[in-house]
Parts: sequence; structure tokens; C-alpha cells
Amino acid sequence: NEELWVQSVLEMPKRRDILAIVLIVLPWTLLITVWHQSTIAPLLAVHKDDGGDSRRDLAAGLDSKEYCLSDRDIVEVVRTEYVYTRPPPWSDTLPTIHVITPTYSRPVQKAELTRLANTLLHVPNLHWILVEDSQRRTPLITRLLRDTGLNYTHLNVETPRNYKLRGDMRDPRIPRGTMQRNLALRWLRETFNKNNSQPGIVYFADDDNTYSLELFEEMRSTRKVSVWPVAFVGGLRYESPKVNAAGKVYGWKTVFDPHRPFAIDMAGFAVNLRLILQRSQAYFKLRGVKGGYQESSLLRELVTLNDLEPKAANCTKV
Amino acid sequence: YVYSRPPPWSHTLPTIFVITPTYTRPVQKAELTRLANTFLHVQNLHWVVVEDSPRRTNLVSNLLEKAGLNFTHLNVETPKSLKVGLSWIPSHTPRGTLQRNLGLHWLRDSFSNTPPPEGVVYFADDDNTYSLELFEEMRYTRRVSVWPVAFVGGLRYESPKVSPAGKVVGWKTVFDPNRPFAIDMAGFAISIKLILEKPQASFKLEGVKGGYQETSLLKDLVTMDGLEPKAANCTKVLVWHTRTERPTLVNEGKRGFTDPRVEV
Repeated sequence: NEELWVQSVLEMPKRRDILAIVLIVLPWTLLITVWHQSTIAPLLAVHKDDGGDSRRDLAAGLDSKEYCLSDRDIVEVVRTEYVYTRPPPWSDTLPTIHVITPTYSRPVQKAELTRLANTLLHVPNLHWILVEDSQRRTPLITRLLRDTGLNYTHLNVETPRNYKLRGDMRDPRIPRGTMQRNLALRWLRETFNKNNSQPGIVYFADDDNTYSLELFEEMRSTRKVSVWPVAFVGGLRYESPKVNAAGKVYGWKTVFDPHRPFAIDMAGFAVNLRLILQRSQAYFKLRGVKGGYQESSLLRELVTLNDLEPKAANCTKV
Repeated sequence: YVYSRPPPWSHTLPTIFVITPTYTRPVQKAELTRLANTFLHVQNLHWVVVEDSPRRTNLVSNLLEKAGLNFTHLNVETPKSLKVGLSWIPSHTPRGTLQRNLGLHWLRDSFSNTPPPEGVVYFADDDNTYSLELFEEMRYTRRVSVWPVAFVGGLRYESPKVSPAGKVVGWKTVFDPNRPFAIDMAGFAISIKLILEKPQASFKLEGVKGGYQETSLLKDLVTMDGLEPKAANCTKVLVWHTRTERPTLVNEGKRGFTDPRVEV
């Protein structure tokens, strides 16, 4: 009898404890469920939440006042609403465009990079390789790149100064941006395996030019090296490759030295990444390059005139 | 997820009416292209492009159609007598005045019989640089909001002076800081409501001293203590008064080397 009594005494507190636990835990469970639902709705609507309040507000193309949706509503919202994100979601099928931009500190640098970024933010599968002409990567650029949300790589290399002259004079024998572009090429070769072919295109974009969105779609289909007209170079409204009826490049429509092997501006061509990786010794020549021959110094190691692919409606559009 | 450009219109966000005067010159298409590329990120933006021309040009029409932005395309030609450089009088009509006024007129016309949307009016010249953050700063303007502008007045930036209480008390400029509104065109936005409340407020056409254009409009709309400082109480620069170099076209020669049918 005593044993039974002891046993039942031991059991009863157990049941009471269980009841107490349930009564305490249940309201918390309910609270957590409701909180979870109200926060998950806007979270599901936001595609890539990389932080930054203003962007989060923009990214939700939905009315931000719509909380408290049921599970079914959340799923439908995701399916039927177009969501604006910046940059566009990465695609598994589009070749990546690696945009190499050399840059240097001067008052308008931030403005130039801001408006360039605003353009690049529309282009899917874009990887921005920004190379500073500086001793160290600057906080200004670091912050700017992070705040854009773009896929990027931040490099730097300082063009040696000409010690003979006083002041901030870079070596004038090295065209501006050359070391920076070459560093980016080296980075690509060190980062990507030429056998593991991730489709990619390499484009050199200076930070003070203007680029249409159409241009990036034109260059995406580059097999070796593609070319197109560029406005406001060579003292003309535009310079352009000459394209014959068969769609092959056979010359250059320029006034300034049209007999250069590649009479084309830096902004007028793109190279398939595979080719960059295969011809791993091809770089822009550093010294002894005549004015206007920088592009040729690289392109002659990569391709012949015959292999060039004309874009922009057979080079009739700027 | 579908990427759309511009972002879908929202029924709750205030609209930003951006008035841009523009004129034909070689870099026009480039300027408008990169401007459009910026605006295409901004929700509920309506671009009012006003050409300084006798007729709306194909270049601008096609650009606006292709961009996909919400837009209105206007034009008004500045009479030659008013154009800069031809008048011997020291004061003159600054460029873009007639066009900006037409933009204001269109706005007042459009909402004369219908209730206006919540929103602001912003004057954006086609060669400046705008951060995306700027548009979110100006979106909730009650009367007139102000912020710093880079590369004006011979400074890294000009800025309103803001008291600890968050009120504008003056202007941090070297050039004529005693102007009623020592601020650049790109440094303020006006609520639509206020524009419609004061239908007589426009930019003064003639007899405007250099640097007083903005004042000629703002004095009829607001007083200094009614200004709303943005950009972290005017401590951040979100807009740059950049200028575009004129391209050298010497090699075109007399007859023209390039195909004039190719639009640049």
C-alpha cells in the first residue's frame, strides 16, 4: 500500500507538470507562429536581400503594408508578382560578361563610377572587375562596390610614377590603364581553369564612357573577338569596322591611321574568356606603344582580321 | 522571378516627376541614354523630357519609346533673341528655362481637373549624375526639400546650412551665399501639391542675375525655414553637377566622313 501510494504520488506531479508545461508553452508556440508568418511574407517577396534599407524597400515590388498572409497567399504572391531586383537574378544559361574597368582617384571618380554602376545593374550575369590605379584599395571604392549589390572583384595596382618629374605624374610612356587591365587579365587566368569552361566574355569599359544596355547583349554571343562602332573617337562622330556583304571585317573606317592592324577603340571589342585563357601570354604592351596601337598590341596575339565577328547590325549601329 | 525594367508601378508610392530640358548636340543621345539607365531603377518615376526645338525629334522620340520609362515628350524652342550669348545685356535667359516652365505648365494642365497624385517635381539636367538614393530622399517631400550638390559654385560641393534642430538656416557657398536660395537646380525638389497650389510660380525668363534662377522660382513657393533638409541633414552628397566634354569632330572635315544616317 505504501509503495502504491509512493508511486501514485510520484506520478501525479508528473501529470501536473506536463499540464503546466503545455499551458506555458502553448501561448509561446502560437505567438511564434504568428510572428513567423507576418515576417516571412515580405521576406519571400524580396529576392536577394543584401542589406541596405532603401534597396529592400525597392526590391519588394509588393505593397509593403501587406503582412499577415496565409501560407497559400504567400505562395501565390511569389508566383504571380513580378519582382524588381537589382541586379537581375543570375542565370545558369547566360555567359558571364566580365567587365574590366581601370579607375583612378580624382574628384569626379565617385560620380563616374556611380552612373556606370547604374547602367551595369541592369545587365544579367555581369561581373565587374574594378582595378584601381593606387597603392591600396581605397575605402571609397570598397564602399561603393559593396553598396551597388553588383557581382564584383576589387583589385589595384599602381602605375609607377615618373621620378624625374616632380608632382603626381605617372610614367607617360605607359598608356593609362594598361597595368590595371593587364592585372585583371592575369586575375582571370589565375581564377578560371581553361579546361573547365564557364562561358564568359571579357570587355574593357573605361569609367567615363557611356554604354547602352543593348551593347551587352550584342557582345554576349562572342565566339572569339567581336567588334562594333564607337562614337566620339578618332576625331569623328564614330569609328567603325568595315564589313563586307559576307559579314566579314575587312578594314577600318577611320581617318586616324586606318592601317593599324586593329584600328579600333578599347570600347569597341570584346573577347571570349576561353580565348583569353588559351592565349595566356597575351597582354597589352606596356611600353613602346605608339598612340592608337594599344588595342592592336593585345588583339594581334588573339585573333586575325578574318576571325572578327561584327556586331550591332553588321556595324551599322552605334 | 522576372526582372522588369522599370520596376512595376506602385499604387502607394509617391510619384517622382523628373523634368529634363534637352537640346540637340553630338552627345545628346549618350547623355539621355545613361540618364535613362539610371531612371530605369527608380520606382514610380515619370520622365518629362522637354526639347529645345521647333519639333519633337525622332532621336528623342525613339529613345523614349525604347527605354520603357513612363514619359511625356514636350518641346519648345528658345527664341534666338533669348539665347545665351546673343544678348549684350549682362543678365540673360539661362539655358533650359523655357523648357522647365513648359514642364511645370504641363503638370498644372494635367492635374487641373483630376486629383493630383502624391509626389514631387525634380529638375534633372541631362548631363548631371544622380545616385539612386537621391530619389528615395526626395520622394516624401512635403513642401520643398533640399540637399547638397557636388561640383557647383567652384566647390567640391555646395550645401544648405542645417541647424541642430534640423532647420535650414543658411547656405554653405562661396559664391553669393546671401542669395535667398543659394542652391543649384539639382539640389531641391518641390511637392506636386505646392506646384498646383501656386500656379503663378515659374522660373523668371529675363533679367535674372547669374545664380538667381533657382531663387526666381523658389521665392514664390517657400521660405527658408519651410525647407526640409534631406541626405542626412545635408551631410551626404547624392548628386553631382558633372559636365560633359565636347567631343572633337575635326576629322569629319567639310563634307563629313561618317554616314550621317547612322545616329550618334
